[in-house]
Amino acid sequence: MSEAKTVFEMGVREYARTPVLLALLVFLPAYFVLFFTRVIPDRPVPVDVPVQGTMGLEMSSVVAVVMGPMATAFVGGIAGLFLMQSARTVDARLTVVGADLPSILLARAGVLALTVAVAGVVSAGATSVAYVPERPGWFLFATALVGLLYGGIGAVVGLSLNRLAGVYVLMFGPLLDIFLAQSPLTDETHALAPYLPGHYPMRLALDAAFTARIAPANLWPGLAYLLAVGLVASVAFSRRLHAG
Amino acid sequence: MSAGRDRRRMRVGFEMAIREFVREPINVALLVALPPVMITSYGSMMSAFPELSYMSTAPETLGSIAGTLFVAAFLPGVIGLFQVISARRADDRLALAGFPRSALFAARLLAVTLASVLTATLSISVLSTQTAVEAPIPAVLVLAFVGVLYGLLGMSIGTVLPRELEGSLVLIFLADMDEALASGIVDTDSPLTKLFPLHYPHEVFQAAVDGSPIALGDVLAASLYGVVLSVVTLGAYEAVTARGGEGR
Repeated sequence: MSEAKTVFEMGVREYARTPVLLALLVFLPAYFVLFFTRVIPDRPVPVDVPVQGTMGLEMSSVVAVVMGPMATAFVGGIAGLFLMQSARTVDARLTVVGADLPSILLARAGVLALTVAVAGVVSAGATSVAYVPERPGWFLFATALVGLLYGGIGAVVGLSLNRLAGVYVLMFGPLLDIFLAQSPLTDETHALAPYLPGHYPMRLALDAAFTARIAPANLWPGLAYLLAVGLVASVAFSRRLHAG
Repeated sequence: MSAGRDRRRMRVGFEMAIREFVREPINVALLVALPPVMITSYGSMMSAFPELSYMSTAPETLGSIAGTLFVAAFLPGVIGLFQVISARRADDRLALAGFPRSALFAARLLAVTLASVLTATLSISVLSTQTAVEAPIPAVLVLAFVGVLYGLLGMSIGTVLPRELEGSLVLIFLADMDEALASGIVDTDSPLTKLFPLHYPHEVFQAAVDGSPIALGDVLAASLYGVVLSVVTLGAYEAVTARGGEGR
């Protein structure tokens, strides 16, 4: 456990040593959400809220609620990608000096979770400036869940592709998933949407934002998806570590 | 004599940039595979949207057009970013060996332009299978232009923020904001959206695809944007690299 703590602290110190990165982690999600809420007019649109059905809501509120989780997904995905890329040589050295795999894995997951938590709090906070969710705690949870899912996917991408290819995938992925496939403005759910990582957390986020009810049917599959992504990332990580 | 030497230097820099890119087959594979995947996915996912009052055309067509512009702009954008970041040390050494900074910059930009032209050609071919493109020549020119525009943006970001994580974060947020605003998928009426790089090219591209007259004002505004960005990027590149790069 002390090994995991040391490796975690090393990872956090690496981030803390780069003030520009810390500033960007706070500024970019906040700017992203707030900018959209400023430029979108307050016009009512019909919106499909999972637990409630169709509701008439202001476009700016809907956009704020969608953009918060999307910003967190971008940060999570890129953080996961570069965490795996930059830690490659360090992790190999750590195993040489006797650190065990679960400790390294736990530490890396901890750094990723902390990054997502910061981005999630900032994004949900920026969303709340434009529209206060009915269930803020659940909205924050859903936002962080999207970020963690994309963080895990970013880690898998970082373990299998190079940086350039990884950035391509993580630039397009959350936009297609969250902005288009899970959009509450759609008439019908796209055939692919239920299989994408953002599906259940976004349903949870929409319910938490616009109603007082939360459907467990959207909570458990989202957590199961996270577990599956976490397992895939762990297996890929341990294979890379063993391969040296 | 000097002109011939400059040309040779440019060629060496350009070949280096290309070799660096194609050394990893996954880069080439994604450059070829992403345009069809993105354009068809965008169109398909947009088909689930209702035709809202502010949309300029049917949602599926709107999606295909937005996806085409997105992929044509951002693939070269990411290449521009990594061209500058990953080649910083090599560029510094080349500069020490007598390569002018402007020749290095031009070689990088030439590589980005080649990627832009390839992506634009492939993207317009894919779009043609989804919807009729009434004016293909202006359409492909706009796509190549947005590729170079985002290539320059990537290079600017890579120059000012020469670390991969920070540079990628900024490019991703900028690109996705720009795309979401220019696409016409969300309703916007703020003049602030006109400051984003894809705003005017999107207007020109939309007109080229649906065959409506292309507004000269949009072409001029997009061109001005390109000129200003070129000057700013070259200025930043020369200023930062002349003092030894990232403060190492």
